[in-house]
Amino acid sequence: MATFKIKRFNPEKQPQPYYEEFQLDIPPAATLLDCMNQIKWTLDGSLTYRMSCRSAICGSCAVKSNGHALLACQRQAEHLLDDNDTITLEPLGNMQPIKDLVVDFTPFWDKINQVKPYLQPDDEVPPQKERRQSPQEFSLIDDASTCIMCGACYSDCNTLEVDDNFLGPAALAKAQRFVGDSRDAQTHARVQALSEPGGVWDCTHCGECVERCPKPTRPFDRIKEIMTVALEHGVHDNNGARHALSFFNSVKRSGNLNENRIPVESMGFFNIRGLLSLLPAGLRMFLKRKAPPVIHHSIDEVDDVKRIFKELGQ
Amino acid sequence: MIQHDVVIVGAGLAGMRSALEVCKELDVGMLTKVYPSRSHSGAAQGGIAASLGNSESDSWEEHMFDTVKGGDFLSDQDAVEEYVKAAPRVIYELEHMGCVFSRTPDGKIAQRSFGGHSKPRACFSADRTGHAILHALHEQLLKNAKSVKIYNEWYMHALIVDGDRCNGVVVSNIQSGEVEVIQAKAVVFCTGGYGRVFKITSNAFASTADGVMAAYAAGIPLEDLEFVQFHPSGLYRQGILFSEAARGEGAYLLNGNGERFMKEYAPSRMELAPRDIVARAEQSEMDAGRGVDGKDCIHLDLRHLGEARIMERLPQIRQLGIDFLGVDCVADCLPIQPTAHYSMGGIPTDLHSHVIIDAGGTRMNGFFAAGECACVSVHGGNRLGTNSLLEAVVFGERAGKSVLEYVAGIDHGNVNEGREKARVLKKFEDVFQRDGSESYNAIREEMKEVMMTHCGVFRDAEKLNVCIETLQGLQERFKKGKVTDKGKLFNTEIYEILELGNMLSIAQLIANNALQRKESRGGHFRTDYPKRDDVNFLHHSMVYGSQNGPVVKPKPVVITKHQPAERTY
Amino acid sequence: MKFALFTGCVAKGATRELMLSTTKAARGLGFDFVEMKSASCCGAGVVSEKSPLLADALNARSFSIAEKQGLDIVTICSTCQGTLKKTEAHLNEDAEYKKQVNDILREGGHQYNGKTRIKHFANILATDEGMARLKERVKRPLTGLKVAAFYGCYVLRPSDRSDFANPDNPTGMEDIFAALGATPVYYPSRIKCCGFPIVMMNKTASLDMSGNALLDAIDHGADVVATGCPLCHLSLDSYQPEIKILQETNNSIPVLHLPQLVALALGYSPDELGMDRHIVSTLKINEILHC
Repeated sequence: MATFKIKRFNPEKQPQPYYEEFQLDIPPAATLLDCMNQIKWTLDGSLTYRMSCRSAICGSCAVKSNGHALLACQRQAEHLLDDNDTITLEPLGNMQPIKDLVVDFTPFWDKINQVKPYLQPDDEVPPQKERRQSPQEFSLIDDASTCIMCGACYSDCNTLEVDDNFLGPAALAKAQRFVGDSRDAQTHARVQALSEPGGVWDCTHCGECVERCPKPTRPFDRIKEIMTVALEHGVHDNNGARHALSFFNSVKRSGNLNENRIPVESMGFFNIRGLLSLLPAGLRMFLKRKAPPVIHHSIDEVDDVKRIFKELGQ
Repeated sequence: MIQHDVVIVGAGLAGMRSALEVCKELDVGMLTKVYPSRSHSGAAQGGIAASLGNSESDSWEEHMFDTVKGGDFLSDQDAVEEYVKAAPRVIYELEHMGCVFSRTPDGKIAQRSFGGHSKPRACFSADRTGHAILHALHEQLLKNAKSVKIYNEWYMHALIVDGDRCNGVVVSNIQSGEVEVIQAKAVVFCTGGYGRVFKITSNAFASTADGVMAAYAAGIPLEDLEFVQFHPSGLYRQGILFSEAARGEGAYLLNGNGERFMKEYAPSRMELAPRDIVARAEQSEMDAGRGVDGKDCIHLDLRHLGEARIMERLPQIRQLGIDFLGVDCVADCLPIQPTAHYSMGGIPTDLHSHVIIDAGGTRMNGFFAAGECACVSVHGGNRLGTNSLLEAVVFGERAGKSVLEYVAGIDHGNVNEGREKARVLKKFEDVFQRDGSESYNAIREEMKEVMMTHCGVFRDAEKLNVCIETLQGLQERFKKGKVTDKGKLFNTEIYEILELGNMLSIAQLIANNALQRKESRGGHFRTDYPKRDDVNFLHHSMVYGSQNGPVVKPKPVVITKHQPAERTY
Repeated sequence: MKFALFTGCVAKGATRELMLSTTKAARGLGFDFVEMKSASCCGAGVVSEKSPLLADALNARSFSIAEKQGLDIVTICSTCQGTLKKTEAHLNEDAEYKKQVNDILREGGHQYNGKTRIKHFANILATDEGMARLKERVKRPLTGLKVAAFYGCYVLRPSDRSDFANPDNPTGMEDIFAALGATPVYYPSRIKCCGFPIVMMNKTASLDMSGNALLDAIDHGADVVATGCPLCHLSLDSYQPEIKILQETNNSIPVLHLPQLVALALGYSPDELGMDRHIVSTLKINEILHC
């Protein structure tokens, strides 16, 4: 007998959420969604959640199970049991709950809309035929196009937990689907917009989105691809790009990081406010003898590293 | 009262394609009980048919013949001709919109083989073609957001009909529970199929006959309901879809003895015979005790395709097997069984997607339908794989164009808002007032079971009579069901009850039509009448509501190029 | 037990106490760590923002250095660990790519054959051998010290490259704390991000992430946070005064590097381990442990 501990919330009845436990024998090979349906259909008809296709393609049934977002229809319930034979279900994070496991997706869709989520081709479209796109070009947008908009990545994104302004992994993956599309003519404008605050450089590299994504979309990998294209397109006038370039140049020069230079170069030499903001931490560290050595040492055999940079045209 | 020029119910491929057409000139309200990107069109995996000839020479004539033969000569050939001719153009348009397609080495849209198609004609995006098109259309709607208002998570309860004219719909907002009337000059239904009436189905929970039953309740007949397609490769017990693309790429079907049994049933096409034939072959093997391990399942064997090919062409299928069964098809066979998949029948329309109300083709003013909920009929008695996405796009677009033509110079019709709202509020009230002595879940389970066993792949008069009787009993019990949630806020329970009501009604109509068609054709197989009977049944079935229950009448089939012939593969 | 030590840049720069304590911890446990002085920076997932191929080539070169010595690599930084593992996965998943990378390395006399394993210090300790040595050599059990682990994203995610058994609910670090005689504190934020990667781009968000994790640890009764990542350490320790201002709190909590905690239990003094170099005072630990 398994216990399903479910976070219940119905503001029509009471303002505060609470946890309710249901006991259920998990039928053989039942998915988590099958179990939720058993609970709804045989124990408590008021239990509320979204669902539709039950084959991991519509993206309706994402919930948090034992603290992490997943698609309920995609997972065998038995695999989710904790040490106490319990599965804890909660609504997705980073969105407002409406009732039980149903959350308000409005901010999620607003952000999808912000990235101009449609092809912006040039006018040269062959009227009677398809545009050509090689299998290699297709492969650049293959993964991003598998996104089912389930919101699992959005739910567990660490940046979104502290900053509503971040576009979030799903919208950025959607953006990469067009940044990487050989048929799109607005690549430069797109990466420019995506380099603004709230864009790719606000991603904190936590990898949660890759972990929660039920499809091969892997949003963080897509975010990195946008960064690469932005740097290639010369969109350098922001802290993220400056940081990447400073880091890159440091490794190029010495094979390792010059930690004294990176903060300054990331802020930009003429960004007085930004530079001032570095002072407190810098001063504290200096006083505690934590500041990196003033004379920066290269690694041994740095010439070979330089050679590799050169060979790759970097 | 909400007012739009046009209201479209359903936001799958047909609904969105239609909306894109209409929004060029008019103000559109589009209603979906989920979100557009969650529509069941997205579950279509294998491809969309068009005679592009990108990997072998092909023609619309061949596509037409395959479709008509696949449909066991019940397709209306004038509609089929226009439909297959339009196919290449609509695919190119989708590509221009940004739809992601797999490509040939020289960059053209790649095409693969599919059941019943004599040429590799299925354009695809790996094994998520429906998903790719659905998202491409959704993207275009987001781009045109100013002229299309999307009502996400709204439910359509009833069609508002005044004499020979349709004036809008009664709807409710699932989140708030508020009932509203939408007044429109034209209504387009793109509400999908109703596979959920069967125990084993590939369909989404949302595929529940809301649209077709709303039409029927408004006095519109329904066509060819007895023709339900069982897909040969549903996941054992769960019914979810493993695309025919697996067989298109070369997978085998094996019975419990490890034999490729299709050689007994369709020696020339083998695993790539049309779905009705393959599903019956599987069921026959299982009924003869040759299922795998004596169970009701068959093996789908992809092992010889190799991991690289599977990962390139069928990655989603592989993942589904791993997630739902713990079976990796690279190393092991997938257990499958026939699963209720597609409704050939539905709301009768002419080939301009205009709904008609009799065998003579009389139009219902202001009412249009497209996609699976409609019956044009291009699929006849059995649909070929990859023809449904094409149908949704071609006839979605046609519905849009027809609406633009129809609405020009027309004003909104009269709607009595109070009366229409009251009608639906009474439905809610009625559910809340029931005595609660019956379990809706039990009713739903029994309906699904009896439809599967008595009105499934193989049917006969005795089974169908039992089925109809059982469904009548369930209808009575339905009036006493128990409801737990009486609130207004996001009450999914009440909507499931309304959906169950629709399903019980359509189930009865399906069984009744099946009983009356005393022949075997396409997806409808009567063991007591195992032959096709062109003398008595080469016609569509139109079922009309009446005080004495449903009345089934014939509607002629349009035959232009291809006379009915024996159908072998 | 001999390993090639991939120090990472930060242990040689802003957190030299990490290098100091690693040396002590290794010596105390009888591990032979050979510093890879010609290895380049792992790239921290930043070099790959500019050029994924370059980042992988540099790391493959580092692997080759260890392979020549016939040694597995030990890392003392979660970010190095995750970044190196990513390169390893790229190379091993695609033979053609590996060949392309080896062609780049050839002129420098390097080649990657896929022989060297890459392990974080914590994962070496968490092996049977490591745990046995810990239990055997602890001289100053950390009795009464409540320690909250802060793993660092890169050793957990993506989970298929993690060496921890259950990356969504790992116990490897806590098991080590228990072996040292300390009391592990389990709290939800232990597997979250410290925010360091965006401290230059979105400082408020970055500090909030660290701050929330620290508060979570404090709320769960921790005396000290221990981390296997010097970048997390910078976030949690060096920025703690600013976090306190941002989050309007007076609470503070010391943050140790994992090797410091281990070496303390092996009997080294706090000063030998550079604990006096921390921004947040570690004296509270000395009091609890009476050292």
